[in-house]
Amino acid sequence: MDRKGIEEVLKTAVRFGADFAEFFWEHKETSTIVCENNGIERINSGIDEGAGIRVISGASSSYAYTNEVSLKRLLEVAEMAGRALKSKDAGIMEQLDFRTPTAVFEPFIEIPPEEVEIETKVEAIKIANQAARGVDKRINQVTVGYGDIKQDVTIANTEGIFVEDRRVRTRMSVNAVAAENGVIQTGFRSVGGTTGFELLKKDYEPDKIGEDAAKRAVLMLGAKAAPTGKMPVVMAAQAGGTMVHEACGHALEADLVQKQLSVYSGKKGDKVAADVVSVIDDGTIPKKFGSLRYDDEGYPVQKTVLINNGVLEEYMYDYQTASRENKVSTGNGRRESYQYRPIPRMRNTYIAPGKMPPEKIIKEMGEGLLVTAMGGGQVNTITGDYVFDVAEAYIIKDGEIGPPVRGATLAGNGPETLKMVEMVGKDLGYTIGICGKEGQGVPVSDAQPTMAVKELIIGGRFAESRKNAEIRRL
Amino acid sequence: MPISYEETAKEVLEAVKRMGFDQAELYVQDSQEMTIEVAEKTVENMKLAQERGLGLRVISDGRVGYSFSSDLSPEALKKMIDKAVHNSKQSQADKARALPTPSVSFPRLDLYDESIFQAAVEDKVKIAVDIEEAARSYDDRVVITEKAVYQESKYSVSVFNSLGLAVSYAGSYCGGYGVFVAKDGQDAQTGFEMQYVLKYRELDPEGIGKEAGNKAIRMLGASSVPSGTMPVVLDPYTVTGFLRVLSSAFSAEEILKGKSFLKGEEGKKVGGSQISIIDDGTMPGRLGSSPFDGEGTATKESVLVKDGVLQGFLHNSYTAVKYGCESTGNGVRGSYKNLPEIGVTNLYIKNGSMSKKELLRDVKRGLYVTEVLGMHTANPVSGDFSVGAAGLLIENGELTVPVKGVAIAGNLKEFLLDIDAIADDLTFFAGKGAPTVRVRQMSVSGA
Repeated sequence: MDRKGIEEVLKTAVRFGADFAEFFWEHKETSTIVCENNGIERINSGIDEGAGIRVISGASSSYAYTNEVSLKRLLEVAEMAGRALKSKDAGIMEQLDFRTPTAVFEPFIEIPPEEVEIETKVEAIKIANQAARGVDKRINQVTVGYGDIKQDVTIANTEGIFVEDRRVRTRMSVNAVAAENGVIQTGFRSVGGTTGFELLKKDYEPDKIGEDAAKRAVLMLGAKAAPTGKMPVVMAAQAGGTMVHEACGHALEADLVQKQLSVYSGKKGDKVAADVVSVIDDGTIPKKFGSLRYDDEGYPVQKTVLINNGVLEEYMYDYQTASRENKVSTGNGRRESYQYRPIPRMRNTYIAPGKMPPEKIIKEMGEGLLVTAMGGGQVNTITGDYVFDVAEAYIIKDGEIGPPVRGATLAGNGPETLKMVEMVGKDLGYTIGICGKEGQGVPVSDAQPTMAVKELIIGGRFAESRKNAEIRRL
Repeated sequence: MPISYEETAKEVLEAVKRMGFDQAELYVQDSQEMTIEVAEKTVENMKLAQERGLGLRVISDGRVGYSFSSDLSPEALKKMIDKAVHNSKQSQADKARALPTPSVSFPRLDLYDESIFQAAVEDKVKIAVDIEEAARSYDDRVVITEKAVYQESKYSVSVFNSLGLAVSYAGSYCGGYGVFVAKDGQDAQTGFEMQYVLKYRELDPEGIGKEAGNKAIRMLGASSVPSGTMPVVLDPYTVTGFLRVLSSAFSAEEILKGKSFLKGEEGKKVGGSQISIIDDGTMPGRLGSSPFDGEGTATKESVLVKDGVLQGFLHNSYTAVKYGCESTGNGVRGSYKNLPEIGVTNLYIKNGSMSKKELLRDVKRGLYVTEVLGMHTANPVSGDFSVGAAGLLIENGELTVPVKGVAIAGNLKEFLLDIDAIADDLTFFAGKGAPTVRVRQMSVSGA
């Protein structure tokens, strides 16, 4: 679609008196491969193209989309979206002067996945599968999932933003099942990012990914049930950032904050966490799963400091929530696809590393639970109550790492947990996931240093990550 | 809406045949959707959607290739065919992978209600506003509307294959839900309720709003309880959350792959003697009903658990060949973008014989669960689960004070066996239904 056509679509959408209109076009090519039962079971390639038109008038907005992308159809859809709002008197819009905002982050794709033969992808998958199966006789099933995506977007709005962008992401996950004497356990490992096939050629070794998943499943076969009740918890950096994502990430998204649906509503400038805690959401980290050049509203993605040394400094905004406060978007407006309107979402969220060596944190904690792998989680942002599940953990006794236990669910309250952070390590470990909100899934990553929390509720028995090795969160 | 895709299908299937593939299947989906979100009596968001697309499965010597496209132009179709053919060459050969034998008859179902689409948009906005008003006027303390929503959809599905199958159907549904916050001092609690139906006139906005308001209010003042083992009663909505996890454990494919805790349990007792679990794609008036599944096989009623004994599993054409049985019509597709995978239609637990009141009466001290947090982290392979929970305390058979901040944990295998009472209040939430269920004892971790 050319600029002239897009301009016509936008003008049609605002013709009925709206304040703002936006055009989002997407052409997405995906390839997914699944290996299970020692063979390639599914290879699926697809092309998905569509466009969505958003119209805002005062507090109301409408969104209409179609995957029939002729100009004629788009003009109809624009009119439909425009008419859906009860607006003031109609006015004719003048010439639109499109400009492209300057991006601060430039993703670099070394090996575009579409240039890699399917045979090469299959080979990497088979290596991961064989490596996982080779770990132990008790591994009786291995699922390897591979996916790559090339998404071309054009975003334009009546404020004059015009952005064309290409996003490329590649990921691989391994889920291994171990069984012995009627006990079944699973282990997973997943890697991925805004990266091409170099993910599996240079950055990670497929056999190592397979081995890690399988070793975890076998380890858990021999683990005892975790203790229950309140106790001190050390989260290792390698466990990733599910806790920060749930304990404060969601509650710092501006739409929830403005609707008074967050425990952090009206708390800007307040002390909300221990001094050692700084929380950052950064879409500009090379290769990370939540990194972007522009967000899905055409705003350059940035590094946003949310909590600085315990003080709440900023929320995550999209265009609409920022406009309500006469601010500029922080570049957090994201959407799953052309089928959804953008809303404030996280990108790569992490707790900034401190100074302590991780071993020292375990030693000083003395007693408690050491979490070395986290699964998914969920939060109620109004109360701040959250849970996340643990895929691998150990007992800490007398400052030493003891026997493994089958991961429990950890439950806590966001604001309380952040105030109970006692020590923060100098390391930092990432995990990737698909974050769900209002039915939209977007790729994110989360990270934490090794850190000690005075106490969390450990919820008894065992709940490991679900079978699709992506760390889904709701 | 019904557009005929027969010509396109014929061309695609013939093109695949010319490339030497004996089996091919084209799945076509066309849908329209509208969502209206209201807060403070104002339409906050309105969404109008239109989508259609094709999915092509080709099979040669047990090798499957798949591709999809939303673009129906001849060039895009050509690309789709080439990709499916190319993908098939890399996949593992498995003789059981073949198109299903075409069904001879299909259940007759009334799935489309034109009156949904005859109603004016203003009436639909009013439905969402009515949900909000019912919730906000339920109690003064219901002070925030997170969302009050009306939703409707119509769709058509067609399956064509090289064995001569050419079937299609159209359906529609509408529904509403509300999420509200009740506040009392510093305390804030959320209440949620939803209803999805096939018939426009069955929608009850006031009922949705009242129940959502009630759920928020009754949680005010909630606190944790000390850890312990106690009887747990789960409300129908919570039970459907467990059914979601169980649904993959009933999949014959997961059984074949050793990824279900129900493997090897056929004919054995897997649940309390009152429990019967059924999947039925032929139920009148239910959202999960359809005449055929994602590969064109007729749907049917499958009794999975009868009086606590595991009867069988859910099959698509592939697992049916592996087991030497017939497909149960559970080759479900989420969209034209996916291959048919084993999934559920309407999955429900049959009503028991006692009332909810009777079921609660015998509980001296226990937990009545109305909300779980993190159900998606439960593991259908091992059956292990541990979830955050909230609800009400049961004392001497009565629901007393609200409870939050506890975790309930266990294993689905033991959970099913420990179910010792089922009430007669079966309620459906979209495609899943359950009555109130009592579990003899569970580990509850609290303060």
